[in-house]
Amino acid sequence: MLGDRRLRRDLERWEQSGWVTAPGARAIRTELGQSGTTLSLANVLAVLAAVLLCLGAMTFVAANWQEMSRLGRLVLLLAMLAGSYGGAAWLYGRGLEGFGHAATMLGCGSFGASIMLVAQMYHIGGNPPDAVLTWGAGTAAAAILLRANAAHALAIGLAGLWGAWETALRGDAFWPYLLAWVVLFAGLALTTRWRAGFHLLALSLTGFVISLGYLLAQGHRHDLVLLIGLAGMAVAAFLGPTIDRFLALSRPALVYALATAYAGLFAMQFLEGLYADPASNTPWLAANGMPLLALAVTSLAIILGALFLANRSGNRGLLWVAYCCFSLELIGLYFKTLGTLLDTSLFFLVAGLLLAGLAYLALRLHRRDLAHREA
Amino acid sequence: MEKAMSPTRWRALLAVALLQAAVLGWMVWDRASLISQGREILLATDPVDPRSLFRGDYVILNYALANAALPAGAPVARAGDRIYVTLAKGTDGLWSMTALAAEQPTGLGADRVAMRGRVESVWPDGDKQQLRLAFGIESYFVPEGEGKDLERLVGTESLAVVVAVADDGRAAIKGLRIGDQVRYDEPLY
Repeated sequence: MLGDRRLRRDLERWEQSGWVTAPGARAIRTELGQSGTTLSLANVLAVLAAVLLCLGAMTFVAANWQEMSRLGRLVLLLAMLAGSYGGAAWLYGRGLEGFGHAATMLGCGSFGASIMLVAQMYHIGGNPPDAVLTWGAGTAAAAILLRANAAHALAIGLAGLWGAWETALRGDAFWPYLLAWVVLFAGLALTTRWRAGFHLLALSLTGFVISLGYLLAQGHRHDLVLLIGLAGMAVAAFLGPTIDRFLALSRPALVYALATAYAGLFAMQFLEGLYADPASNTPWLAANGMPLLALAVTSLAIILGALFLANRSGNRGLLWVAYCCFSLELIGLYFKTLGTLLDTSLFFLVAGLLLAGLAYLALRLHRRDLAHREA
Repeated sequence: MEKAMSPTRWRALLAVALLQAAVLGWMVWDRASLISQGREILLATDPVDPRSLFRGDYVILNYALANAALPAGAPVARAGDRIYVTLAKGTDGLWSMTALAAEQPTGLGADRVAMRGRVESVWPDGDKQQLRLAFGIESYFVPEGEGKDLERLVGTESLAVVVAVADDGRAAIKGLRIGDQVRYDEPLY
């Protein structure tokens, strides 16, 4: 992985300058070597090949099997499964981990294709998300039991598809998704602890929480999104070292929590007005006794707090997401106050003064920090 | 470099393959037993022809009983709710809806059957609630290219679906009846 390579290079330099002892460097290298399988180009290509083979098999079978009996078709599907897992066994046995995982992925894809084709054979029209759930559960079992990261990514994607589909069909929040999420999270934490997998899970959960704002209470629960985001930020910031003792995830968690909190604030400030009661023509914010200014100040305070935290802890992800939120906030406020030029200029004046004040505060804190260290 | 695979991994691989195969086997067994043991009824339908990219041609079967209304004062229905329609056999051999309930009705007798469905959508209509229902028997897969033929046939002939209804109300398609002839009556396995 990219980070690994850079660390290895730096390590060599540090060892030469005598900052790291030779046994220390060796220990670090060993640990790097153990941190999961490296995502080599060959493995990536093998997974892509598995995906294509699966699509090819599915379309070929669907187009060519009218002449076969139902039993014959079933045998063909089971042979496809057996072939994939047999291939996986052969590859794992030769120490080709990455290729074995690709074959596992092919098996999971065949499983999904088989579900669709059995549904076709027996004209099962049922609830399509149920088929996605069955596919996802079989894939999750394979991913967890075989410690196969690519299959885990597929399972996370299928769980997301299942949740989104059910949500769309019901037009309401779909809570059972959280159960699937917990299973996939626990499965990953107990097996490979693949970081990209955790990012996918965090992204899914962020999407789920943000969607709650648009689904609950006729789409007016963005305050709940904000609260969940803030709670996540607080937990990640204050309990970081404790969390990291089990799983080193508090830093990325902080980033996703900030994105969640700001998504809630953004909707409250700039989208709620669109859904205002047209009869009374009262903007939602005013109707709920929440002036835009208070929300804007809250947003800026959270964003600046995050920037401050990012700088102190060297969390680059947090830094960039905070910058993005800051830009969105400025753009949103600009459009919101457009037309009342006085308001716009007043806003930029206030924001500018606020930033200047915070910059001064940051400088003071930085100096105090330095003084502390030198003393 | 030859590395032997650990016995744990062997077992895991075998477990995954057997689990996934068992799920498929169960799907087939469940369907086959439903079709062979379920009560046979005949429902009038009219087809629409879409196409599924991976699954070949299929026709969407549209049933009159998919549109139902709940009377004023009935509990509020939501998309995803389970619902049971009671069907009775008419003089023409076709079955039609006589009642709608949230719980499975019992003691229906020989000339009635309760079929389980799902509420797809709900919209208000005065003080009534209009429902769109689905029963899992809305897609019929035909050999490639025959979807259009089927649709053309329907202009001249009446189309009905032979449906099997299990004791718990689940429904499965057994075949199609065009005019007086049952078509696509495939063996179970």
